[in-house]
Amino acid sequence: MAEMQVCSPPQSCWGGRVVDFVVTMACWSYFILGFLFFFSFFYGAAYLFSSQREHAFQHLNHLFFKGFLGLLRILSPRQEWSIDQNIGKIESSIVVCNHLSYLDPLILISLFRRQKTIVKTTFFRAPVFGWLIKTSGYLPATTEGEHGLRMIEQVEKMGEFLSSGGNLFVFPEGTRNRDGKIGPLHKGVFKIARMQRCPIYVLSLCNTDSLFTPGKFLFNTRQRKSISMTILDRIEPEAEHCPVSVVDLEKKVREIFRLRTKSCDQKGGPSKQVEEWA
Amino acid sequence: MNRDELQEKIITILEDDFEFSHPGLTDNLRDDHGFDSIDAIELLAKIETMLGFQLARAEKEKAMSIRTINDILDYIEAIQAAHPS
Repeated sequence: MAEMQVCSPPQSCWGGRVVDFVVTMACWSYFILGFLFFFSFFYGAAYLFSSQREHAFQHLNHLFFKGFLGLLRILSPRQEWSIDQNIGKIESSIVVCNHLSYLDPLILISLFRRQKTIVKTTFFRAPVFGWLIKTSGYLPATTEGEHGLRMIEQVEKMGEFLSSGGNLFVFPEGTRNRDGKIGPLHKGVFKIARMQRCPIYVLSLCNTDSLFTPGKFLFNTRQRKSISMTILDRIEPEAEHCPVSVVDLEKKVREIFRLRTKSCDQKGGPSKQVEEWA
Repeated sequence: MNRDELQEKIITILEDDFEFSHPGLTDNLRDDHGFDSIDAIELLAKIETMLGFQLARAEKEKAMSIRTINDILDYIEAIQAAHPS
């Protein structure tokens, strides 16, 4: 939760807001201009010439958001970023994480070279962005209308994607968590885990909502916060039950998240095993 | 395969593989048993195995509107009629 800031003298608040404005504009400039004048050429080339278009787009997404987050880190030096280095080594797995802000999917894309995720259906209709997520092979959240066929194709290809080293990351709460309590978990991801019999990594993310607070336009770079991502657990569906139970997987993940909420509140940052994000 | 045999097989699949408990033929699968599009896709793979042939994309897309076990049975009968062996 964001702490109340007391400004003395009041001008220091205005100064801080100007800094936040500049950082936000710089990041948006990277987002728009970096895409238009640099990455769009690579995306275009991948679309036209790559025999593995999905793979190429996922790699470009990875590089694009790695650049975005690198810039954000440089421009907000008060934030201590601690990402467990083992997260980047995860392959062929389903990754579930708590969801605090719109930065969360960008962080995961920047960590996984081959990644898919489930995206709100409305984003598929967005110009340019919709084309990017369709071509990257991301899954729609519902099967309404044209999305039915896309969902069928993507779920059918999921086994091949995972076995070739890709990760499917999902925020099973479905929306950004604003009260610190874990909400109901959507079971779709656990059904995919049941189908694919692949490991599930449960990740804990702390304090991205302090830097990019839901409902706010500007980044909040003034508060000193430790933004951390850690691996809480790895679940092997085969070892749990045979056949694997979606209900049990959901219960287990919920329990892990419940413990996470405590650890995030108490420590406000990473655990001892976490290393500085290189 | 007649409708009774199909019904028995589908209910067995739903109970064994989809963790359904005593499903009724007219139960709303989504509301009463949490059956969603991912389940539907998994069920389609099992229907393909049961029937012994691959379903066309358009046939799979139609399955997304299934709501009850009776709908599943109607769907399979229509597929069988369209693929005479």
